Amino acid sequence: MHLLSVNNLLVRFRTHDESVFAVNGVSLDLDEGETLGLVGESGCGKSVTNLAVMQLLPKPAGKIEGGEVVFQGRDLLSLDESEMRELRGKEIAMIFQDPMTSLNPVLTIEEQMVETIRAHRRVSKPEARARTLELLHTVGIPQPEARLRNFPHQFSGGMRQRVMIAMALALEPKLLIADEPTTALDVTIQAQVLDLLQRLTTERGTAVILITHDLGVVAGMTKRVNVMYAGFVVEAASTADLFARPRHPYTVGLLHSMPRLDAQPGEPLIPIEGVPPDLRRAPVGCPFAPRCAWRVEACWTAMPPLDPIEATQVIVTTGPNATHRIACWNPVTPEEAIAARPLRAGFEPAAPPTEAVS
Amino acid sequence: MSGSMAQPPAPSGVAAAAGAAGGASPLLQLADLQMYFPITSGVLVSRHVGDVRAVDGVSLTIEKGETVGLVGESGCGKSTVGRTILRLYRPTGGHIVFEGQEITTAEGSTLRGVRRRMQMIFQDPYASLNPRMTAAGIVSEPLEIHGVGTGRERRQRVRELLATVGLDPDYGDRYPHEFSGGQRQRIGVARALALHPDLIVADEPISALDVSIQAQIINLLERLQGEFGLTYLFIAHDLSVVRHISDRIAVMYLGRLVETATSRELYERPLHPYSVALLSAVPIPDPAIESRRRRIILIGDVPSPSNPPPGCHFHTRCWLRARLGNPERCVEEQPALREMASGHAVACHFAEEVEGSPEQVLQISGDSPGASVTAAAITPTTATTATTPPAPTPGALPAGPSTPQQPVPRRRERS
Ligand SMILES: Nc1ncnc2c1ncn2[C@@H]1O[C@H](COP(=O)(O)OP(=O)(O)O)[C@@H](O)[C@H]1O
Ligand SMILES: Nc1ncnc2c1ncn2[C@@H]1O[C@H](COP(=O)(O)OP(=O)(O)O)[C@@H](O)[C@H]1O
Ligand code: SF4
Ligand SMILES: [Mg+2]
Ligand SMILES: [Mg+2]
Repeated sequence: MHLLSVNNLLVRFRTHDESVFAVNGVSLDLDEGETLGLVGESGCGKSVTNLAVMQLLPKPAGKIEGGEVVFQGRDLLSLDESEMRELRGKEIAMIFQDPMTSLNPVLTIEEQMVETIRAHRRVSKPEARARTLELLHTVGIPQPEARLRNFPHQFSGGMRQRVMIAMALALEPKLLIADEPTTALDVTIQAQVLDLLQRLTTERGTAVILITHDLGVVAGMTKRVNVMYAGFVVEAASTADLFARPRHPYTVGLLHSMPRLDAQPGEPLIPIEGVPPDLRRAPVGCPFAPRCAWRVEACWTAMPPLDPIEATQVIVTTGPNATHRIACWNPVTPEEAIAARPLRAGFEPAAPPTEAVS
Repeated sequence: MSGSMAQPPAPSGVAAAAGAAGGASPLLQLADLQMYFPITSGVLVSRHVGDVRAVDGVSLTIEKGETVGLVGESGCGKSTVGRTILRLYRPTGGHIVFEGQEITTAEGSTLRGVRRRMQMIFQDPYASLNPRMTAAGIVSEPLEIHGVGTGRERRQRVRELLATVGLDPDYGDRYPHEFSGGQRQRIGVARALALHPDLIVADEPISALDVSIQAQIINLLERLQGEFGLTYLFIAHDLSVVRHISDRIAVMYLGRLVETATSRELYERPLHPYSVALLSAVPIPDPAIESRRRRIILIGDVPSPSNPPPGCHFHTRCWLRARLGNPERCVEEQPALREMASGHAVACHFAEEVEGSPEQVLQISGDSPGASVTAAAITPTTATTATTPPAPTPGALPAGPSTPQQPVPRRRERS
């Protein structure tokens, strides 16, 4: 049994005049102690997927319209709010890009950490306070004793993220969801925070879902990756496999469009042309088709399933031997992944069917 | 403000600022530039109680046609350097020389003349465009301010400019909110090009954009440089982007330059402890490399520029100083920017110790995993097993579809 299984998750935002097709059938599994990266450009559904797992979607617009979320064998979508509240923090904790969204600005660090601990554990106030001190020390807050009485705004961005990590790990959750935890920080501070996250979660065997748009962060921090585009998982593989043998045109495009610190001087960037799709339209076909150099006719009309790149008896969804899967009608070959374009003689990307263009 | 500014600049100062090998006179020279912002207190009568020393003695030369990258953590004064060059501020001290002409205190028509030739591109393509003006109006504005051409000529020029930056000229009558982030940044670029500038200060021009869109804008800036012979000061906090686009890089820390070198040198042979730490912190999208790299974790945040540490500003966070047993010299004496190789200057008393150190060698490639790494500040990233991916080779543009420029609804970039 996996620690977490998300199956065919559908999330829509509906308001009186429009729908946003935010998550369109995402499936993912995670084992205890695993680190999974969710990577993709902004708006591709990374945060919404995880907010749905936590049942923290903004109400009433955000709705789970299909699928299941199973955590330690329990169907989370059938739990009521008080049961979910019991689970959040204790079993699954979450940290965000902006710690201020989850820290209470009018409570001191001591007040909110003691409160969090005592909400889930039967301990005395002095015990909770001692635990708080220990945690602040663990995450590297200098002079934690003096800092206990500070308010969140009295900390720098990096220090606030450390406080968040201390709070998230206070109850020793099984799963930590980190949503762009370092996107707002300088690289030097990012290095501090990622180093801390990696150390603490490895020590405790905490499973991590790390959401980021930065493939560099994914490469250093995770063992497995799901690449998302327009509310779909388009490629899933072990981190080693994904970077060594990317097969989806979007993944290949991403890898070639970012400058690398270790690139050969003068190596050109190959951008992905166009812009991400408008999620207010119901998805038809592969969402990447309008920007894809590999597209064939089927891409315009049918969404490809997330299938193994090679025929296989069993599909392994977790662990270091996870089956490499992509959702693509015309996978990129290894040579094409290097060239960043289709190399088959005479190949032209399929023109859109006339009725599909609006 | 120090009122006495020698004119023309002290030759020694400018000579010290000279970077790349000579030839014709450089396009821009900064000599010991200072920009302080006063801190005042008091309700009725404000008293001057101190200064934010945003720029504290920067000397830098930019040659015509080159791209100089300016990097450093946020708050270290990069934007202030850019804005002071454009004379949006009056410098507290030092000199700004543009094509041999001192513009440090220029005013009125002299200043307007110089400003035509220097333009700025900003980070936030949402905040930097007036939401009530059409794209054509925004691009046309500098032409109107400087009284260039007739109405008809201006309209024609705006269409040309929009096409140059890859926008459909017919979209000129649309408003900023009707464009995507990348398209808005193109509008910002078109506006900057309107007056045929020589120098463009690009202040974090891609930091707010999505990864796939960043490459579009970088390639656009590179193409325009070739077409129009532009000179760029490219400000960014992302070293991989800066390294890609720049011929030379200046690394800034708390108001001062700590290292200047060609991109290649800086990457292969960083000599300032801060540069080494910055480079080591940049993630590389390759798990095999990441597992071998040794990262230098700097302790704490950047100190406040209103009360910078004495001597070397970096001494409070410096791994090299700790290694050397915390020499007093770093606290007592400000290290000068001294040339250690042709075109490679470093402001560290002990830069010789960086050369060949495991930190310098292991910051990127991690190619010598056997090297003894003793500094406690160095932490290995957890090992990942991986085969080395195929080395990306330069390839032609994909024979991909060129999606028609289509206005899309406002979307948050980088959420
Ligand atoms: N409260 C909301 N109302 C309407 N649409 C939303 C809301 N929150 C997110 N969305 C939309 O859902 C999609 C997925 O968003 P999100 O998961 O936040 O993306 P990201 O991958 O950047 O985390 C986006 O198109 C976004 O605009
Ligand atoms: N107009 C201003 N008034 C007062 N302080 C300023 C002003 N502009 C910048 N600063 C301060 O100067 C320092 C350098 O800022 P900035 O040049 O924006 O840094 P960077 O661009 O490297 O992030 C910061 O401490 C900032 O708060
Ligand atoms: S001068 Fe001293 S403190 Fe400054 S960078 Fe060099 S060794 Fe470090
Ligand atoms: Mg998000
Ligand atoms: Mg800035």
